[in-house]
Amino acid sequence: MDRIIVEQFKVKYESLAGVVHLVADVSEVSGVVCAILKDIKASRIALGELSYGLAGALTENCENEGIDVLKPSYKTSELPQSIEQANAGITMAAFAIAETGTLVEFTLNDSSRLVSSLPRVHIGLVRAQDLVETLNEAAAPIRDFYTQNQKDAVVTFISGPSRTGDIEMRLTLGVHGPETSHVIVIHSS
Amino acid sequence: MTVKHKQCLEEKIELAIKEKKKRYALYDAMKRGRDSRNAAVPLLPGGKSFFKEVRSIKLRCQEQQEELVQKFAEKVRSRGSSVFMAQDGPEAIQYVLKIVESCGAKVVAKSKSLTSEEIGVNRPLEEAGIDVIETDLGELIIQKVDEKPFHLVFPAVHKTAGEVAEIFRKVTGEEVPEDIDGIMKIVRRYLRPIFLDADIGMTGANVGIAETGAIVIETNEGNARLVTSIPDVHICIMGREKIVDSIEDALQMMLAHPISAVGQHLTTYVTLMAGRSPMGEDDGRAGRESHIIILDNGRTRMAKDPIFKDALNCIRCGACMNICPTYGIVGGHTFGYIYPGPIGIPWTASVHDLEKAGDFASLCISCGLCQDICPAEIDIPMMIAAVKERYSKTHPQPRVNKVMMASEGFAKMGSAMAPVSNWFLRNRTFRWTLEKLLGVDRRREMPPFKRNTLIRQFKRRGPCKTSDPTRKVAFFADLYANYNAPELGLAAIEFLEGMGCRVILPKQKGCGYPYIGYGDLERAREAALFNVRSLLPYAEQGYDIVATEPTAAFCLKSSYPGLLRDSSGAETVAGKVYEFFEYVALLDTLLPPGTLISSELKGRRFGFHIPCHQRSLGAGQGAMNFLKQRGAKVVLVETGTCCGMGGTFGLKKGMLGYELSQAIGEPLFKSFKDAGVDTIVTESSVCSIHLNEGTGFKVLHPLELVR
Repeated sequence: MDRIIVEQFKVKYESLAGVVHLVADVSEVSGVVCAILKDIKASRIALGELSYGLAGALTENCENEGIDVLKPSYKTSELPQSIEQANAGITMAAFAIAETGTLVEFTLNDSSRLVSSLPRVHIGLVRAQDLVETLNEAAAPIRDFYTQNQKDAVVTFISGPSRTGDIEMRLTLGVHGPETSHVIVIHSS
Repeated sequence: MTVKHKQCLEEKIELAIKEKKKRYALYDAMKRGRDSRNAAVPLLPGGKSFFKEVRSIKLRCQEQQEELVQKFAEKVRSRGSSVFMAQDGPEAIQYVLKIVESCGAKVVAKSKSLTSEEIGVNRPLEEAGIDVIETDLGELIIQKVDEKPFHLVFPAVHKTAGEVAEIFRKVTGEEVPEDIDGIMKIVRRYLRPIFLDADIGMTGANVGIAETGAIVIETNEGNARLVTSIPDVHICIMGREKIVDSIEDALQMMLAHPISAVGQHLTTYVTLMAGRSPMGEDDGRAGRESHIIILDNGRTRMAKDPIFKDALNCIRCGACMNICPTYGIVGGHTFGYIYPGPIGIPWTASVHDLEKAGDFASLCISCGLCQDICPAEIDIPMMIAAVKERYSKTHPQPRVNKVMMASEGFAKMGSAMAPVSNWFLRNRTFRWTLEKLLGVDRRREMPPFKRNTLIRQFKRRGPCKTSDPTRKVAFFADLYANYNAPELGLAAIEFLEGMGCRVILPKQKGCGYPYIGYGDLERAREAALFNVRSLLPYAEQGYDIVATEPTAAFCLKSSYPGLLRDSSGAETVAGKVYEFFEYVALLDTLLPPGTLISSELKGRRFGFHIPCHQRSLGAGQGAMNFLKQRGAKVVLVETGTCCGMGGTFGLKKGMLGYELSQAIGEPLFKSFKDAGVDTIVTESSVCSIHLNEGTGFKVLHPLELVR
């Protein structure tokens, strides 16, 4: 069942001009990320709040490649410029929706939102077990999030890279936000 | 409409018709929107019935609106944001100016918000010395040339890449390439510092969720993400009708907006924003504010208006303008004030004024397609009719509209005076006089009148004695089958009798749809009341009501219940109405299999046209199957919008009539010619005049093809 949902997500997300990578476990994430970064000749990246020791592993691998890694906590005085200068942003999604090809991010600090909205390349990470099939299934986790956080709380749905059809209705990517949008689905963590 | 307004509108139409390239670009854009929507809707959970749910959510939330607004405001405040209830535009603007002053803002970055355009917030800000920059690409383009949106979803769809490049050449002083990708790079570079340095981010909201106090902002470009996160101060201006109850309601809206607009499952970026998050650690909270302005501006009044309250169910997807045939020629600058397109007419009348709405309401030709495509199933045509009616109190109807509304009287007279009347209708001098005096275009070939009407013929012959009828049918003839083509009416009746039905012809008038079309709702109600009173006893005795004219079936089924709200009879009658071939298909299931199969039309090939009013009924499936069952090959030819005739609209002389109807018809005529057919079949008497003249092909009713 999980595999079917992952496949459904992949097909849908890629139909939205995104790129999906499937990895077996957390240890493979760094390799995929580094390959993407090498491809775009990144010199600096920004991380959002990552779990499962991913921040450490990514930092180590990237710095070995000579890539600067910015990570939380971000100093207010340096925002938004520091994240603006990153070539790629890497964030962890709370869950993803297969039917619509959507990553869903829960954030309590807007610096995390900048990581997935300012750089030209976004890499979203999500665990396969956090995939749901339908949009309707998004209601419960969103409700939990807003119940647990009674003050500021932002939920972001991301379905592919920034797109516009405003000139002659022709689809064009990356007008403001990311022009490339990768998702790495992690099978077990 | 005053003479001046009419002239001005006619000049605009003439110009639009001449600008063929722009008109075809708009046509393509709209068609693409419709086609992708059509492809995406079946993939939805529940397919087209998904929209029933959208309407029921909107209705429920409008019902509890006051309560939800309070609940939402309370939640927003509890999360630390401010709420301001603005009665009208000036109040909202004052509040915005106060915030601007208190935080010493110099630059306001906006993401697309029609509500902010409704109240015209940009100008007073600019007058206060603030730089206001639209960050949605389409909005930015039109802001730079000081225009209003041409389309709800694609505000700059009328600009070519070359024109856009020229605009940004002026804005940036840089060399801008004329290819779209090149332009994008320049736009990104131009807007970046604005996103990074703006003092205030201003947005609208697609939805407000009372349960959580969150606003929902949808953008494909991601500009709303940047303007709601980087600037310390956030201002959201939202209409109060956007507030829904629960997260589940909001998810349905998030799905409905892009699906209905462009056939996209979800908008690329959807932000549910509650409270005001800090940016960064240490002093990340300093100066962070969020202000939600909940705008009334006539909405509470709308909610109390029995007709206009339906407009509050609008989800602002723009689908109605993607299908509107006249909008497709003239675009949103002519067909709109701030809110363009069909739904723009009642909205303009409600939040701006009746004058402004009335100025472009006459562009509506009452095809009813906007209602058919609307995801909230809003009866837009009825609201437009009400705008036309209210406007006509101070701006008398042009004579030609009065003539069209009097078509039943003319038909009666023409029939009584036949064949003399027919001689006159063929006489060039008479037609010239008719055009000069009454405004009926002399180029239109009118169907001749018959002296011996269907009603008279049927009275003489009486119903067939069928002892054990399959079904009982009350036939509704409308004008054409009674006064112009009684042989068609009789063929229909005999066909039903041949299938074992008992058919009667109750007392009836024409359906009166032209009254709705031109906005005389009082007389429309009179006609409706007459017909409902006459048909109701039969409906109650189990008779089905069958009409050969699609507009008549549509009017009885869809318009009468809306017209005669308090009369329960209209609903009962509506529940019994069928268009002729929809009914034949139903009978076919009751009779022994194969009853309708024959080889009568073997080897024949026809192009088929679906009249607009048929789309929400059987959509021509019944007639097409009928022809196929008789061995014919049927090619459905369609552009997805109206043929341009719009009932009697295309009979009128001038830009707001014949000329516009021809321009709308062009692509359809071409499609018929390309389809390799030489005969067109359609069930509408008026479409057939238009198609015949536009293609030169023979146009027949399906019943004219069978013995």
